[in-house]
Amino acid sequence: MSAYMPKSILLFLEELGRTMQFAGLVFRTGVANKVPMHLVFEQIWKVFVQSLSTTALAGFFVGGIMTVQFTLQVKQFGALGYLGGLSTSGTFREVGPLLIAFMLSGKVGAYTSAELGTMKVTEQIDAIRCLGANPILELILPRFIGIIVASFFLLFVGLMMSVGGGLLMGIIFSGIQVEEYLRHIPTIVSIPSIFGGLFKCLVFSILIALVCTYMGYSTTGGAKGVGRAVVKTAMITMVGIVLSDWATSMIFDSILTLVMEA
Amino acid sequence: MIRFNNVVKKFGERTVLKGISFKVEQGKIAFILGTSGTGKSVLLKNLVGLLRPTSGEIYIDDKEVSQLTEEEYLPVRKECGMVFQQPALFDSLSIFENIAFGLRRHEKLSEEQIAERVSEALSLVHLKDVSQKKPQEISYGMQKRVSMARTLALRPKILLFDEPTTGLDPVTTQAVNSLIHELSRKLKTTSMVVSHDMACALSIADQVIVLDQGQIVEQGSPQELLKSKVQLVQDFLQEVKEQ
Repeated sequence: MSAYMPKSILLFLEELGRTMQFAGLVFRTGVANKVPMHLVFEQIWKVFVQSLSTTALAGFFVGGIMTVQFTLQVKQFGALGYLGGLSTSGTFREVGPLLIAFMLSGKVGAYTSAELGTMKVTEQIDAIRCLGANPILELILPRFIGIIVASFFLLFVGLMMSVGGGLLMGIIFSGIQVEEYLRHIPTIVSIPSIFGGLFKCLVFSILIALVCTYMGYSTTGGAKGVGRAVVKTAMITMVGIVLSDWATSMIFDSILTLVMEA
Repeated sequence: MIRFNNVVKKFGERTVLKGISFKVEQGKIAFILGTSGTGKSVLLKNLVGLLRPTSGEIYIDDKEVSQLTEEEYLPVRKECGMVFQQPALFDSLSIFENIAFGLRRHEKLSEEQIAERVSEALSLVHLKDVSQKKPQEISYGMQKRVSMARTLALRPKILLFDEPTTGLDPVTTQAVNSLIHELSRKLKTTSMVVSHDMACALSIADQVIVLDQGQIVEQGSPQELLKSKVQLVQDFLQEVKEQ
């Protein structure tokens, strides 16, 4: 069958297969060994601090943008009271997780693949193996878990900032009162939409963690190879985030429809 | 004792090692010589399990190691200290932590004992007052010696050096070569050195293996090598005479 397939598709499938094998190796190593928790905490803190300022800033303005965009629509229907609820719900369900994912991909994903790639081409990873240690356990797992856990903290910060940004823009552009803006947030932001946002955040962070650690760990070819790994990480995670966003939205909406019908 | 038996290593369609067989006796120094790209480093990496042979067997002290799993290989690697072509020091750690890395993972030692072992390893490579520095704060030659100290701290039975003098000036090259000789004799280790340096091989090796295009074209003692009729060996010897 491979004779009939274009080479690019074969290469893509090969790379996908290797990535899945790598994911399996990381998972098995995590299950079979005691994960060094001090390294995990170190990575959580590092990822969180690395992305905190940009996430907070972006969260604030995304909240503001959502509010400005919704203002026109809700004013037409005389439903300004729902502005806070609509804007926050949109951010929770869609924009928040997507924003965190792009931030993580650009900052942490690129940084991690460059860091691991440099370690690989300068034989530091081989040195770890030769010193009788397991690089998957010492390097990959802490970064993998660190990115996933930190993304939830960042999501929380980003969402809080977006509520703040939305509120401020609401006051400035719509003249809405603080109490009025906040009143409908609990009614419109439902539990399923919170779960939807959290689920997306989990999927995106696993994708970023997997791609950047795999690309870094499999780097070859010196400085050029490190550059290639970073570019590939950025490209694959960006496309992967958009595709998995579509897939998770479809899946989650189907589940929600089934639950509501039942 | 190290023994390679008909080892073949392929990367896709390309065969890098074409049926390599040799033996290095306990406590001896073997030099692997050859031009670039002949598979010298690949040979060492197969020995420590960083690469696996496509076929053939590798024995360390009569134990076949090429079929071991990654987990099973970890204790073998502790016995085989490898010094890489590049210093390969962990740049986020101090020199002290670099050398203590293996000790913290394999030995149940107190902080005082670790400090003692680090200082012992540093003195073996004639370095002092560098333990609190970061790798980037010392010269490349010193980084190479720290890399040796990191390997020695685990007290390996076998020492492997992958082009240890690449990128060093002639004076430091001489110092590193003397150090390899001194360490191997002092610690009674079996050593394998991948190198281009025929002059050094003739002066400190017990056995020299010459590789060309993935095959052994000559092997023997330095005295035997001087009588070799193989063209590549002649070229290497000519270079030594010109120096």
